[in-house]
Amino acid sequence: MNGPFHTNPPSPPVSTLTTVQLLQSLTMAEIPAPLAAVQVEALVVMKIIKHCSQTFPSTATGAIVGMDVDGTLEITNSFPFPVVEVPAESHFDNAAPNPAAAAPRAKANAAYSAEMIRMLREVNTDANSVGWYTSANMGNFVNMNVIENQFYYQSQLNERTVALVHDVSRSAQGSLSLRAFRLSPKFMAAFKENKFTSEDLQKANLRHPDIFEELPVKLHNSHLITSFIHQLQSPTSTASTELPASLAALESSPFSKNSTLTPNLDNLSLSIDPFLEKNCDLLLDSIETHNTEVNNYQYYQRVLGREQQKINAWKQKRAQENATRATLNQPLLPEDEWQRLFKLPAEPSRLDSMLNTLQVDQYARQVDSFVSSSTGKMFAIKGNLLPNETSN
Amino acid sequence: MAEDSFLHLARPLGPVSVGTAPTTAPLNVVIQPQAIFSILDHSLRRNVDQERVIGTLLGTRSEDGSEVEVRSAFAVGHSEAEDQVEVDMEYHKQMLALHLKANPREVLVGWYATASELNTFSALIQNFYSGQGDGTWPHPAVHLTVSTEAGKDLETRAYISAPVGVTAERAADSAAFIPVPYELRYGEADKSGLESIANAKDAEDRSTSITSDIESLERAIEEVLSMVDRVSRYVESVIDEETPASTAMGQFLLNALALAPKVEPADIERDFNNHIQDVLVVSYLANTVRTQMELSTRLATAQLTLGGGGEAPATGEGNQRNQRGGKNNQGGRPRQDRTEETRA
Repeated sequence: MNGPFHTNPPSPPVSTLTTVQLLQSLTMAEIPAPLAAVQVEALVVMKIIKHCSQTFPSTATGAIVGMDVDGTLEITNSFPFPVVEVPAESHFDNAAPNPAAAAPRAKANAAYSAEMIRMLREVNTDANSVGWYTSANMGNFVNMNVIENQFYYQSQLNERTVALVHDVSRSAQGSLSLRAFRLSPKFMAAFKENKFTSEDLQKANLRHPDIFEELPVKLHNSHLITSFIHQLQSPTSTASTELPASLAALESSPFSKNSTLTPNLDNLSLSIDPFLEKNCDLLLDSIETHNTEVNNYQYYQRVLGREQQKINAWKQKRAQENATRATLNQPLLPEDEWQRLFKLPAEPSRLDSMLNTLQVDQYARQVDSFVSSSTGKMFAIKGNLLPNETSN
Repeated sequence: MAEDSFLHLARPLGPVSVGTAPTTAPLNVVIQPQAIFSILDHSLRRNVDQERVIGTLLGTRSEDGSEVEVRSAFAVGHSEAEDQVEVDMEYHKQMLALHLKANPREVLVGWYATASELNTFSALIQNFYSGQGDGTWPHPAVHLTVSTEAGKDLETRAYISAPVGVTAERAADSAAFIPVPYELRYGEADKSGLESIANAKDAEDRSTSITSDIESLERAIEEVLSMVDRVSRYVESVIDEETPASTAMGQFLLNALALAPKVEPADIERDFNNHIQDVLVVSYLANTVRTQMELSTRLATAQLTLGGGGEAPATGEGNQRNQRGGKNNQGGRPRQDRTEETRA
């Protein structure tokens, strides 16, 4: 690509570089590289955590802005969506039970985020909407709201957008859980035309792991934040430390108050039951949903079978009739009239059960990752309290 | 960071109309890390010719007004020249309205600047923020300065102000700034976030990926081991009489050691076995359910060629397969129910 430039010695290297970059950026503009990763600024992480934990356990949603740099989506700022408080007295039957969950695709919020982005542009913030975020509780984010929101973002606004999912309860009991998802092109196509019969799914080979594409998330700190974190962790006084005179002096010294941020020693606490119980409840709920789906489907099959039987009986009858008519030299009756007479039931959409399957998958993996760390902790504690046992 | 000590002084008050009198109670400022991060981000995004940037602080005030919690901040454009300062007040008002829509519980508490300097312009802006009407009156407005000078420590200071003025016409651009103590406070929820952010503090590219539970556990254990090592090295050197002994330190360590619970080995054995079985059963069942779900979807979408038929199977056959998948999952249920019993 840069061959011709090398044969041209008088041109200064700087301009060569810029031309090459220009060419590259031109070709990039034509065929944008698929989004490969998401890079989240520390500011965004903190803002999302704040918003999500404030509204916990109800869902919180907001918009994220940033820039797309060669396939890495840099998320540099975020702002929450306003929640329209529905007064408790007014009960609308078809109002969504959780207005915040549907907020990203609400009309009022499109205006709000456009306004906010316009304001942010004035103070030099990256003013491109690159997606939205939502909070989750124990990984329960696989639902129609998330799908519809992300579909709205990817189809209406910008194809290169992501959904950031911050799991509040998992972050509270372990390390930060922040994940980035996009809908796969396959699923987008199917969702657009609402093709979710078993035949369509089979044809498209669409399975539950194909719904989302997960992008790796990286955290990024600015220089100022890096130095701020350094300062936060170590006391600024450089005076040599003297031995404390008394226990009280030791306890009130800055060192005992100084809390290290990383590694988070709260990870060592051993509380298993609440987490597992909650997880089992959720898993059972999902299995319940799955059973309902299966029952619906079986009902559909029974109805379908009955109708098919009726059609076959009718066809046989018509064939016999025609046979007798043929022997009597009478004109034959049409044989495809059954299409008019009988109506086959519509197949229920398989989308719900697909989402449910993905949700179960999610819970099971969550249990796995939790169990792996908690068994380790339990064996460690046992080994500590019963030192004789381990030596055997 | 708060190595300064503070003396609460009742700030002098200016002439006010009778009625609600401004409070003179001591004020404590609590800052959440989000606000600082916002300020630092804004500082990075300032125009080339700007030395400092300013913005609005939002947060909550305790009922008696003695504690102000700064929760978030947004940037406000402004320009400073030799003899005048322009702050985009229209922008401030619009942004405030937008912000309050999404965070109805937060109120205006003050403003920040990204330089430690306090000058006439600071006083002018401070008087705007603490004024009646759009400002924080009757509560004092908090002014936060975060110095972001390259090569120096970040220095944060919090102030409130009192009106002073030699003459009436100078009153608008003068104010006595009174330093107030502040505290950086982060909640449990922020902790995991800060932990991840702090992971990147020594990395050259200032970025890090999100760690899984087991990785962070490993790190925590390693940290504890190194701390235990350090302490035992210290104790050994005291025993060898290389380091001066300290009674306080000894007491502290003894107290820490006394925290180890005294439990019968049999009890430990029993509890351990009960719990580990619970955990493993739940894990096993969850994985069984997952496998069966996976199997059922695979069966539902697999391109099976039954016998020599070759043709894609008709809906009827697909249905049968789905049914089979359904049964499999139903098979998973009774076993799942057993989990409840085990836990109960």
